[in-house]
Amino acid sequence: MNKSYFFNLKSKQKIIILVLIFTFLFSLITGFWNGSYDLEIIKFFKNELDNIQQFVLKKIRFPRVILAAFVGSSLALSGACLQGLFRNPLADPGLIGVSSGAALGAAFSIVLGSEIIVGGYLKTFLLPLSAILGSVVVIVLLSIITNGFKNSNITYIILAGIAINSLAGVGIGFLTYISDDAELRGLSFWSMGSFEGISWNLIIPSIIMILITTLWTLTFARKLDIIQLGENDAHRLGVNIRKLKINIIISSSIIVGVSTSLVGMIGFVGLVVPHLVRLLGGSNHNYLLIASILFGSSLMIIADLISRTIIQPAQLPVGLITSAIGAPFFLWLIYNMKRK
Amino acid sequence: MNNRKYYLYLFLLLIFNWSTSQKNNSCVKTINPSKVVVAGGSITEILYFLNLEEKIVGIDVTSNFPEETKEIQSIGYVRNLSSEGILSLEPTLVLGEDDMGPPTTINQINESGIDLRIISESQNIDGIIYKIMCIGSIMGKEYETENIINNQILNQANELKNIQKKNNLKDLNIMLVLSMQPSSIIVAGNNTSGNSFIKMLGAKNIFDSFEGWKSVSKESIIKKNPDYILIPEKNLHKNSEVEKLSEDLMFKNTNAGKKGNFIFEDGMAMLGFGPRTILSALKIAKIINE
Amino acid sequence: MSICVNNLSCKIGRKEILKNISLEINVGEIIAILGPNGSGKSTLINTISGNLKKNSGEIIINKKKIEQINLKKQALIRATMSQSHKILYDFKSKEIIELGWIQFNSSNFSEALKKVSVECNILDLLEKNFSILSGGEQQRIHFARTLIQLYNDFRDEERYYFFDEPSSNLDLSHEMTLFKILKQKANESYGVLIALHDLNLAYNFADKIAILKKGKLVHYGTPEEVLNNKNLSEVYELPIRVNKDERMIKYY
Repeated sequence: MNKSYFFNLKSKQKIIILVLIFTFLFSLITGFWNGSYDLEIIKFFKNELDNIQQFVLKKIRFPRVILAAFVGSSLALSGACLQGLFRNPLADPGLIGVSSGAALGAAFSIVLGSEIIVGGYLKTFLLPLSAILGSVVVIVLLSIITNGFKNSNITYIILAGIAINSLAGVGIGFLTYISDDAELRGLSFWSMGSFEGISWNLIIPSIIMILITTLWTLTFARKLDIIQLGENDAHRLGVNIRKLKINIIISSSIIVGVSTSLVGMIGFVGLVVPHLVRLLGGSNHNYLLIASILFGSSLMIIADLISRTIIQPAQLPVGLITSAIGAPFFLWLIYNMKRK
Repeated sequence: MNNRKYYLYLFLLLIFNWSTSQKNNSCVKTINPSKVVVAGGSITEILYFLNLEEKIVGIDVTSNFPEETKEIQSIGYVRNLSSEGILSLEPTLVLGEDDMGPPTTINQINESGIDLRIISESQNIDGIIYKIMCIGSIMGKEYETENIINNQILNQANELKNIQKKNNLKDLNIMLVLSMQPSSIIVAGNNTSGNSFIKMLGAKNIFDSFEGWKSVSKESIIKKNPDYILIPEKNLHKNSEVEKLSEDLMFKNTNAGKKGNFIFEDGMAMLGFGPRTILSALKIAKIINE
Repeated sequence: MSICVNNLSCKIGRKEILKNISLEINVGEIIAILGPNGSGKSTLINTISGNLKKNSGEIIINKKKIEQINLKKQALIRATMSQSHKILYDFKSKEIIELGWIQFNSSNFSEALKKVSVECNILDLLEKNFSILSGGEQQRIHFARTLIQLYNDFRDEERYYFFDEPSSNLDLSHEMTLFKILKQKANESYGVLIALHDLNLAYNFADKIAILKKGKLVHYGTPEEVLNNKNLSEVYELPIRVNKDERMIKYY
């Protein structure tokens, strides 16, 4: 990454990113502070929390909110990269089937994994790895259907995404049908996503993978800008198109696959966040990628907060909240495109 | 079987649990039964049955008997519980069955130090009595529970066992229908609460060849030719509905349809395997026997 | 140094688009590629720019074979402008120009931007949203982007510009501005290759002419050598008269 990466942000964009950083920190604190359990966070600093309160804060809320931040940033970042690569405003890991590919991969390992004799340590990684594999298969399929992404026609990609979502749905439905009840428990809330039950040991390896991949992805920013001119021009400006495509495939597969393996399918974040960020400050990717990460994590933290407080002590699947926000925005987006 | 053998039987079960299984499965008395969160309709029913309902602070969505349960805070769906949500009710005890979930949440509740008990369920007469005893024991009310069982359940349980022994009904073909939308008729297969209920009657489940709740075709229903059809849906218990069902061509071609042998009963009473299950099984067995 | 194209052949699928083309692009010169539609002008530019793979022959840039020059280095030596794709997201015009600034070093960019904006007369367009510009204005922005690509510090080698009909949407005055810039680049020791339809512009601005027909190089030389009635009428299948005194070509 160039030193001048940050200096090349226009001053308006610098302000927006600063505001987004504050928004993120605010969301983080709000997420830690609130929940169905009554907790005065000032007591945390005075060390006056009793055992249960400490348990709720440190072992339930902290890991949950932090994972929400990572998952939100992953989905938003992947959406921004796919929209840039495909030069298509409707690209989103959910719409084009990447999330359901990951879910199918995870479903395989949940239902069939017990049949395969795997060493205990490997088993913790089996779930996220099979989810990543599922994502990779989907993106490779998309690449074949669109002829190496050359045919970036909107219709093609949406149709391909519908087909892949349907296929994955069939696969997951079949696996649900043949699974016995204990496994079914693992599968039943996949389609709507949930941050329930997240604990530290579950998320540490995944957070590390997401963090490293995210930092690597930020280096694509300039190339994503250049590819907006079209593949011929980008090639003439020194961008290795094929390498860029493969890198974005790998990056999205990892961050979306890992996220989906832990929390199920959560839609619309990858679609909505990059567009909102573009509306605020513009389309150049060194601004867009960072702003998407910040906005996406804030959004997800708040969506999770709503999901776990709105009908407390029960909870809603978080995917319901993101859809409630995202679907109207999606309609507005289509309306806007029609106007242009 | 007389009362003393019962108690010995149960005592052995309790000892067995205490010495060999993890604390989650034990029926040992809990330290503090004052505030209980329940995930499972039959457990809620049993607490009311044992007059312990004022200790309940939270219930899941399947706990809807008796009517008073409407006033209690809901913790949501039993397979998607929220650990923080449950903890916010400040329970001293959490009771549930083995379909509680997600597993990570169950782990968290365990980790928090709250007493979590998963009541194992055998879906037969002894299993129901064991369940009631176990819950009573956990709540520290063993003697009271024994008395209540003696006064209210034991006779019926014995009567049902006699009917089973007579084995009159063993060749009777029964199916249990969970849902009857035109597009999918979902029936009880093997390893379901519906199958266990039919066994409790001493009869035969015509669809025990497959596992779980699955949808079947009209042709296979006609082929298997049930003598009785059990429907765990209290609200269809009106004559006009029976007429509608027996008009249905599919059912007309079966023994049950020709004779109008449709039995409607409250779903939770039939399939919850709580106190009402023995009563409803007895009631249905008597109807069939006539 | 120069770019030497030797016996270049290029197939797309089964069809042979370029057959055995040999020419030179020298610094300080403007070479115009002429020919009817489908004669292979765009394919030639795309092949020399590295977008298409050749099937046989050589492309030697500054004494090195094109295969031996890595992608980034090629971008420092040559800049190409051809038919542009629609830009999807909202960018300002100056941001589009910045995409050509391949060294991506902020301090020099504003100087270079000013220089190219004055040259191309696009100062008033810089802050505007690119998508609302007219076709001609967008073309001028792409032209500026192409120029600025070689306005960097890299001076070790000779450098070249390729243009595929860069003035197709421009009115007369903007077209003249563009060609004057090309002439100036040639004077600044760049090599310039331009594919054109307009015979008169080629006659009056180019130092060398190469005429393609059906993928073959049928005429190659100075305008005086190549542009005459017989050659042009044959190639374009149209009666064409060249007036050498007034340096005018008539075809209607």
